[in-house]
Amino acid sequence: MRAVGQSLPRLDGFSRVTGRLVYGSDIAVPGMLHGVVVRSVHPHARILQIDTRETAGMSGVVAVLTANDVPARRFGGMVKDETVFAVDRVRFAGQPVAAVAAISREIAEEAARRIEVRYDPLPAVEDPLVALRDDAPLVHEDWASLAAHPNVQRRGNVCGMATIVRGDPERAFREADEVYEDRFTTASVHQAYLEPRAALAQWDGGDRLTVHANTQLPFAIQEALAEILDIPAGRIRVVVTGIGGGFGGKLRLGVEHIAALLARRAGRPVRVVLDMAGEFWAGSPRHPAIITLRTAVRRDGTIVAKTADAVLDAGAFSGASPVLPSVATLVLAGPYRIPHLHIEVRAVYTHKQNFGSYRAPTGPQCAFASESQMDMIARRIGLDPFEFRLRNILRDGDEGPTGQPLRGVALETALRRAAAAIGWGARSAPGRGKGIACGWWTTTAGPSGVYVKMHPDGSVTLATGCAEIGTGALTGAAQVLADELALDPRDITITSADTLTTPYDYGAQGSRSTFNVGNACRRAGAELRRQLVAVAAEMLEANASDLELQDGYVAVRGVPARRVSYADVSQTALGRGGGLLASGTYVAPPTPYDAGCVSGHFYPAFHSPSFHAHAAEVEVDSETGHVRILRYVVAQDVGLAINPLLIRGQIEGGVVQGVGQALFEQLPYEGGQPQAHSFSDYPLPRIEDAPPVESILLESPSTAGPHGARGVGEPPVIEPPAAVANALEDAAGVRVTSLPITEEKIFRALGGRPTV
Amino acid sequence: MTTAGGLGDEMTVAVALTVNGMRREMRIPVTHTLLDLLRARLGLTGTKESCLEGCCGACTVLLDNRPVMSCLVLGASVDGHDVVTIEGVAPKDGLHPLQQAFLTHAAAQCGYCTSGMILSAKALLDRTPAPSDQEIRRALHGNLCRCTGYNAIIEAVKHAARLMRERPAATSQYPAESHR
Repeated sequence: MRAVGQSLPRLDGFSRVTGRLVYGSDIAVPGMLHGVVVRSVHPHARILQIDTRETAGMSGVVAVLTANDVPARRFGGMVKDETVFAVDRVRFAGQPVAAVAAISREIAEEAARRIEVRYDPLPAVEDPLVALRDDAPLVHEDWASLAAHPNVQRRGNVCGMATIVRGDPERAFREADEVYEDRFTTASVHQAYLEPRAALAQWDGGDRLTVHANTQLPFAIQEALAEILDIPAGRIRVVVTGIGGGFGGKLRLGVEHIAALLARRAGRPVRVVLDMAGEFWAGSPRHPAIITLRTAVRRDGTIVAKTADAVLDAGAFSGASPVLPSVATLVLAGPYRIPHLHIEVRAVYTHKQNFGSYRAPTGPQCAFASESQMDMIARRIGLDPFEFRLRNILRDGDEGPTGQPLRGVALETALRRAAAAIGWGARSAPGRGKGIACGWWTTTAGPSGVYVKMHPDGSVTLATGCAEIGTGALTGAAQVLADELALDPRDITITSADTLTTPYDYGAQGSRSTFNVGNACRRAGAELRRQLVAVAAEMLEANASDLELQDGYVAVRGVPARRVSYADVSQTALGRGGGLLASGTYVAPPTPYDAGCVSGHFYPAFHSPSFHAHAAEVEVDSETGHVRILRYVVAQDVGLAINPLLIRGQIEGGVVQGVGQALFEQLPYEGGQPQAHSFSDYPLPRIEDAPPVESILLESPSTAGPHGARGVGEPPVIEPPAAVANALEDAAGVRVTSLPITEEKIFRALGGRPTV
Repeated sequence: MTTAGGLGDEMTVAVALTVNGMRREMRIPVTHTLLDLLRARLGLTGTKESCLEGCCGACTVLLDNRPVMSCLVLGASVDGHDVVTIEGVAPKDGLHPLQQAFLTHAAAQCGYCTSGMILSAKALLDRTPAPSDQEIRRALHGNLCRCTGYNAIIEAVKHAARLMRERPAATSQYPAESHR
């Protein structure tokens, strides 16, 4: 039976339900020290003095580090604006200023408390719109001299900017029947993975380093460590442990560099496990955004032009921010035919923690704005929001907003299926209402490589550099490999994400793992099959072209009795040529686009894009403003459902994260200080907040994906805020244009006044 | 609690308890929680450390058959008591019906909440063999999951309840009475 398409339980599930999977915070070695980070309490200040004398003399303390003790190197993704510890000044509350390693966590924490840092506080820029002013203090006064990728458009506090300009938007606006301008704001939300970032660093013989970490991107961490530690990357081994949730929050350096530096100083292994305050003060939560949209429509409901001006709060360091404005432009343009566009997105430094890549980065913010405005316009011109979308959506053969040719666009089907499932058109009971939203997203490209070998018993090992962050994506890749080799997927053992022993992979990010690792598996599987058949042909004294693979046997086609088992072939191959061993690599083909309409872009087109529609029915308590989501429907084009069970898991989980972002999650700042420090002041969706979710999987194959698959993991989190906002207006007649849509905002919008 | 000299000379206390059917005796620092005792002392890392303030449920274990968040229980207070962790849930050769159902329904993604979820659910099913959705939600209210969206977990618990009603023998926590 074909493995692709089966709802198989994940292959690595046993260790996850028995508590045996070893996560980053579990791993320990003899002689290990515990590292703790000392953080700035000011959003912006000059460091006058760091006094470590008392700490250094404490019994049990083995190493103390400040900026003076580490190589003076700047690092970063696209702009080299970061240092390990603050040098002379701090730029956000939570920035590391020192670190301690001690024989126990308790001693390390006490030692960290006894490090005295004297600051001279400076004015902090908290509002990105203030940071954009010409007279605003510069977060990086030396921004112009920082090394940066040449494509990054930056100036002063702007650390990245991307635009799409198509057609003649100015003229289209002059000539339009109606023009609507609306402004939206969104708060930051945190990935809130249950396992904090953790790393164990061990130096072996002085110049070789092994780091075990719960990172999504071991190869990027290896490269960053080489830069920071000033040693060749080949001497650094990064091994990925179990990862207790990532969602983009474990892409960039977390504590790996601090563990490595402490271990080098101490001459002993050091493990650093962050506390939750460290996560909320210095993670990479979602960018707060301020988005203004102007949309021009004809009276018949055709959109003719759109402009967008979006500002993303980048925080004090650029991180992923130079890249993400490009992604935001594509979401803001939306999955619509709009001939005239002027979309501009800027990422702006402020004195806050680095906002970054949370699952579908920029997606929910931009879709909240764009899809809320779609409903607002539909109501203003007297059209049904569903009909208004149908008149404007992208269809097969259309071009995307940057001119990319689109094939197999299943958006109309997605909208119709979602609408039918929610009962669109049938009136809800009083106090209840329905909302719809749609969107598109990318399947991130980037290289993937795998090794595949067959053991003497006929089973197979798949070695991939891609980490398993919990989605089950590697089970999907193994299903693809299983079909290449006519094997039961349970005969495949996966080893994953060790920079020393597995091939390069661009990493567990961007809805890419099953797609790209799966394609590498197809190639490696084809090569292993060729080897398998060649040896079997000798054994069977048959032509290779007459052989076929059947459930663990190589057989002569039409003569099933003439066959040899994989185990026999594999053992024979050991003696004859050294064994059955193959590799496969894959890089997705570039997606064509019109280079003339974009600037500052790192992501000018969505690769193998997925299209999706969400629909929600909600009930609003007009006395309290409380929203209950009664039902939620997702219709998502997955290209081909490699594992429907695991795909539904991505959809259901993404929807509930999206509902949290829609209704109550937020990480606010006041006076430059983050106002959430733990799960007790950062509300997360609990089991009673989870609505029933109906997942409708559409299969319009992509040309590049394995068996036509498209990326799956991020999209489910994109549309919920818009779908909920739209349902809220249908239910209660109020429109809230800022996230989260708290009970208080609804209560006030309903005309209520606080009684306390 | 600590002497002036530093943190290395903490006061300790003797505790004797049963963990997964086996009697354990040790001295622990008086400041250590049950979570510290299980993870750092006994190496039972299947119990997960997360928020350390009783908000997330990842460290849930059974204390005298009732679910507790082990980060909030002082180690010294479990002297004489009975503790079951995820390592003690499965029968000797195989999986507990809850573990099986979590696999079947893909109710474990990253898996970090799973140990606590399974123990909270086990406490429920041991008392309430046929729980309603509402009873399941109430029993798992204290357990956060950031990956699954919870629906698969509810389905898994209902499925496990059916399995346990059909095959009550499969629910035995640990095989050997002789460990006690």
